[in-house]
Amino acid sequence: MKALLLGAAAIVAMASPTLAERGSDGELKIIYWQAPSTMNPYLSGGTKELEAASLVLEPLARYDEGGNMVAWLAESIPTVGNGGVSADLKTITWKLKDGLLWSDGSKVTADDAVFTWKYCSHPEGGCAQSEKYNDVTNVEALDELTVKVTFGVSKPFPYGPFVGAQAPLLQAAQFADCLGTKAPECTDANFGPIGTGAYKVTEFRPNDVISLAANTHYRDAAKPAFATVTFKGGGDAAAAGRSVLETGEFDYAWNMQLAPEVLAGMQAGGKGEIVSAFGTLVERVMINMTNPDPALGDERATAKHPHPFLSDINVRKALSMAIDRDLLVEIGYGDAGKPSCNVLPAPEIYKSTANDGCLVQDVEGAKKLLTDAGWVPGADGIRQKDGVRLSLLFQSSTNAVRQDFQALIKQWWGDIGIETELRNIDSSVFFGGDPGSPDTFQKFFADVEMYANNFDGTDPESYMANWECKQAPRPETQWQGNNMPRYCSEDYDALVAEMAKTGDLMERARLAKAMNDKLMQEYIILPLVDRGRVSARSNALGGVVMNAWDSELWNAADWYRVK
Amino acid sequence: MSETSAAPLVSIEGLKMYFPIHAGLFRRHVGDIKAVDDISLEIFEGETLGLVGESGCGKSTVGRATLRLYDITAGSITIDGTNTSKINQADLRRFRPRMQMIFQDPQGSLNPRMNVADIVGEPLDEHMSLSREERLARIHELLDAVGLNRSFANRYPHEFSGGQRQRIGIARALALNPKFIVCDEPISALDVSIQAQVVNLLEDLQKKFGLTYLFISHDLSMVHHIADRVAVMYLGKIVELASRDQLFNSPLHPYTQALLSAVPEPNPARQNTRVHIVLKGDVPSPSSPPVGCNFCTRCPKAIDICHHVEPATIEIEPGRFAACHLLESTTKVA
Amino acid sequence: MFNYTIRRLLLAVPTLLLISFLIFLLLDLAPSDPTANLPLTIPPEVREKIRISLGLGEAFHIRFLLWCKQFFYNETLNILEQWWGWDFGGDRLRVLSWQTRSPVVDTIVQRIPQTLWVVGMSYIVGILIAVPIGILSAYKQYSWFDQIGTFVSMVGYSVPTFFTGVLVIVIFSVWLGWFPSIYDTTLVVNDWSSFLQQVKQMIMPVSVLALYNAAQISRFMRASMLDNLNQDYVRTARAKGIRERSVILVHVLRNSLIPVVTVIALGVPQVFGGAIITEQVFKVNGLGQLLIIAIQAGDVPTVQTLTFIFAVLIVFFNLIADVLYGILDPRIRYD
Repeated sequence: MKALLLGAAAIVAMASPTLAERGSDGELKIIYWQAPSTMNPYLSGGTKELEAASLVLEPLARYDEGGNMVAWLAESIPTVGNGGVSADLKTITWKLKDGLLWSDGSKVTADDAVFTWKYCSHPEGGCAQSEKYNDVTNVEALDELTVKVTFGVSKPFPYGPFVGAQAPLLQAAQFADCLGTKAPECTDANFGPIGTGAYKVTEFRPNDVISLAANTHYRDAAKPAFATVTFKGGGDAAAAGRSVLETGEFDYAWNMQLAPEVLAGMQAGGKGEIVSAFGTLVERVMINMTNPDPALGDERATAKHPHPFLSDINVRKALSMAIDRDLLVEIGYGDAGKPSCNVLPAPEIYKSTANDGCLVQDVEGAKKLLTDAGWVPGADGIRQKDGVRLSLLFQSSTNAVRQDFQALIKQWWGDIGIETELRNIDSSVFFGGDPGSPDTFQKFFADVEMYANNFDGTDPESYMANWECKQAPRPETQWQGNNMPRYCSEDYDALVAEMAKTGDLMERARLAKAMNDKLMQEYIILPLVDRGRVSARSNALGGVVMNAWDSELWNAADWYRVK
Repeated sequence: MSETSAAPLVSIEGLKMYFPIHAGLFRRHVGDIKAVDDISLEIFEGETLGLVGESGCGKSTVGRATLRLYDITAGSITIDGTNTSKINQADLRRFRPRMQMIFQDPQGSLNPRMNVADIVGEPLDEHMSLSREERLARIHELLDAVGLNRSFANRYPHEFSGGQRQRIGIARALALNPKFIVCDEPISALDVSIQAQVVNLLEDLQKKFGLTYLFISHDLSMVHHIADRVAVMYLGKIVELASRDQLFNSPLHPYTQALLSAVPEPNPARQNTRVHIVLKGDVPSPSSPPVGCNFCTRCPKAIDICHHVEPATIEIEPGRFAACHLLESTTKVA
Repeated sequence: MFNYTIRRLLLAVPTLLLISFLIFLLLDLAPSDPTANLPLTIPPEVREKIRISLGLGEAFHIRFLLWCKQFFYNETLNILEQWWGWDFGGDRLRVLSWQTRSPVVDTIVQRIPQTLWVVGMSYIVGILIAVPIGILSAYKQYSWFDQIGTFVSMVGYSVPTFFTGVLVIVIFSVWLGWFPSIYDTTLVVNDWSSFLQQVKQMIMPVSVLALYNAAQISRFMRASMLDNLNQDYVRTARAKGIRERSVILVHVLRNSLIPVVTVIALGVPQVFGGAIITEQVFKVNGLGQLLIIAIQAGDVPTVQTLTFIFAVLIVFFNLIADVLYGILDPRIRYD
């Protein structure tokens, strides 16, 4: 399991932390231009909250920069091989490291893990990470340091609970009275959770700034190098980048979603550099396989009515061929993106190479394909067949880069004789999932739509299951579901079912690749750009290892001041 | 009150008041409005000089310029033996007590945020040093003099009627015992029923305090009532100046004749026989007055020379002045 | 005047209740979802659970009445407890933000200092600059001073603060390195050096906002001065032989200030509203930033509470403006 890693690897190689003493490097200043609103990741699924909390709260295991699982609070990763995972794939037993202390000095025990599960699985708690504890029927403490998680079904990938930044351990003593509906009332606990991480919260100002100090009970006596951390939130990406790369006021700035030329200009300041890492976030165009014609009323965009022309694979293929993915990357993302021909671009073992032909734009080929399929230009230059005109409604969320992409793609599709009407919808509405709104990405009342999506962690099983037949949003599901294209294939569903009962990693990889290739070769999804995480690091900050699989601050305990 | 016996209290010579016109992007000076263009007159102690003319002829400007509320363009003004024309505004303050003004708009000329005591008392504070009691006593005295109830002292201007406000304005003007008061259309904003009261008050005060008035008005009958001598203005110039009776009985200048012909005549017999002289056209703009006589464009008797040469002001008989080419010839013949 | 004030205050109660209802209604009708900004990896079932845990499962009127009870009753008791140390006992649910799950009022109280420091200071600085500029511009109408003043006002008024803000950051933080580009809200002023640091970090946001405020107020001041300078009473004052300074400062200025003072009073609620854009640009994170983040996150309780507090301030300062008008202008009497 190797994830792509730019720059960060070099830093690791260079990194030779001088024999540090805890707190000897003064203050670490981090800026997140979206300010965290809570320190409890179970009450907010937002990335900013997860990352802020990861300075304090830690899971049993997490992912390193290569996407490999590493034991964190646990002694080792349980597997079928070492007996930690039962043969029927229904239980997993974790063993905590000995001698771990919470930042208040009390011992970390298996009961804390049991409590954490109870906290997140409480039906009235509204836990944002309950997905992580899916199918868990019981969590029990076998002894003070041993936790056994039992699943109701066999789990080929049992590393949901207590793994990754989304599912860290909470201290049972602190949150004991915060179960269920009481959860939001525990403001002090939610703002200042007691953790095992290198830092502890000294002051939390919601949506503004978090002050942290070194955890005196941290398991490594020499860490962290910094005595205090100021975690500032707010502003915009440009200002955050400026404060690290140009003025040097801050050490680390998260999520530099900026135009490539702006970033390059800032880096010229010489005070810092851009670090990036690529995960699974793919900007993609979804094809609607059903007919979104308003005339169909309640049956609009449902499987009952196939799309009048997008159900023709030649049209879908031509749409893909007309796109110049390199140019999209250059214009929209620069260092933060790379062209992608897979909806599942990483980790490496899952990455298919069968579809790389899409990297080259082929306008003439697309035209020929359409003509051969009987789609010939009409009097207005728009191709048509049997009275059906190739005229698309293309929707996306409101976002400068997406609108640039829409305009470019419209032009390319125009070149091959397909007319495109563009539409953009405010992201809170588009992604809002309100069944009453006609403008959500689930309802998909358009012919094609563009957005980005990814999956948590490194295991693609549930992600690839998104395109199962039954996942299609439709009135019966209150328009919920992840299968936006309403793709429906028995073969595909069979692959999903097979993966759900396969434990062997290589076999799982083969299945995932097969599913990816099927989606790609049927042109159900047109991947465009693999988007990386991009952050900025001051030259005075050492030890940063950019990680696309976990919190970016996953190894903040190892960060130090470059002198 | 014979004009020959008294010495001139105010004498104005060659007074010019031009207002510059700025235009264009850089607000360049492109011309002047000649509101007052070379006038001379004398006002004798204790008399009332009426100054009449149509609206816009510059008569109010003469009043304000005489009191140096403007920095004048040219000419000299001597008031009570002091040439005030060149004194700067700051030094002029010392002379303000001697010369005061009563304004046309009794509402606008009173600061709405000051009560009567402050309005009347402010000049006292500026120019005298009185104790609180003395100041109050003086204010009451002034209110008595203009016929206002003393209890009004703490009220604000908006609480009064127009006539009362004008009385406040008069009390304020009297506060410093001035010798000379410019009355700038003091009654034209008032109801007719009130006008006579105010004019009578002004006359009473003149007798009581020995005041000298420059009474500016467009109302000829009111001027006939109050003035001893009358000056007629047209487009920034004085066209005729004479004693009241001379002027009203035998006007010399065609413009005066035209003005007087419009005054209603109480005697119906005479009213019927009178010839109305109706002036045609509008008053020319003071920024570009006509060549020659200012009145030539509308004068019913204009002759050729009027369009070329500006008529000089000539003394037709002692104390009687006019500026008209037609009169030049008569005097020559005489 | 007293009766008038009391009457107005009583009238404000139904007005504000209606406003709070309308705000609630508008927010409810607006297409916003508190879970919309969560990563797409969070499945819809979980989102639905989150929504229900936020109370969104209840009917509209229940939620509104609940908010009313929490805000008008529970929060009031809470404030009384905190101020006077009383103890009413009982477990009262306060207005909780959907984003932070913490009491909205506490966050607002936490934000007020930085907003008042920066936005309030800029308002005061703006007024202090604007009034003399307005006076001088009017007094010397069309002079070079007036022309420059007009130009600067035009610039201050028409150039948005997100432009001037970034411009001064680039010049003074990036190029010259004089001032920090990011406002430190945790700075505690307890000695000379921390005071200097506070001044340094306030200079840029305060001057950017002050320029904007000054532009508006100085134009207003100038217009009001010009109105009054041409009034007859000014000529009267000069004819009285009053010093020119007194003519301008006593007669003209006092009258000109009446409308300006009321405009200034009406502008005060905006100070509390914070300067959304400037706060974002300089990372001041005051009330404006709180509001905009809450709007973006679909955090209805925070938006509702903040906008309602703004409404209260607006109603209140309207009353203050009216009362001030009555005090300053003797022509106006309210009884």
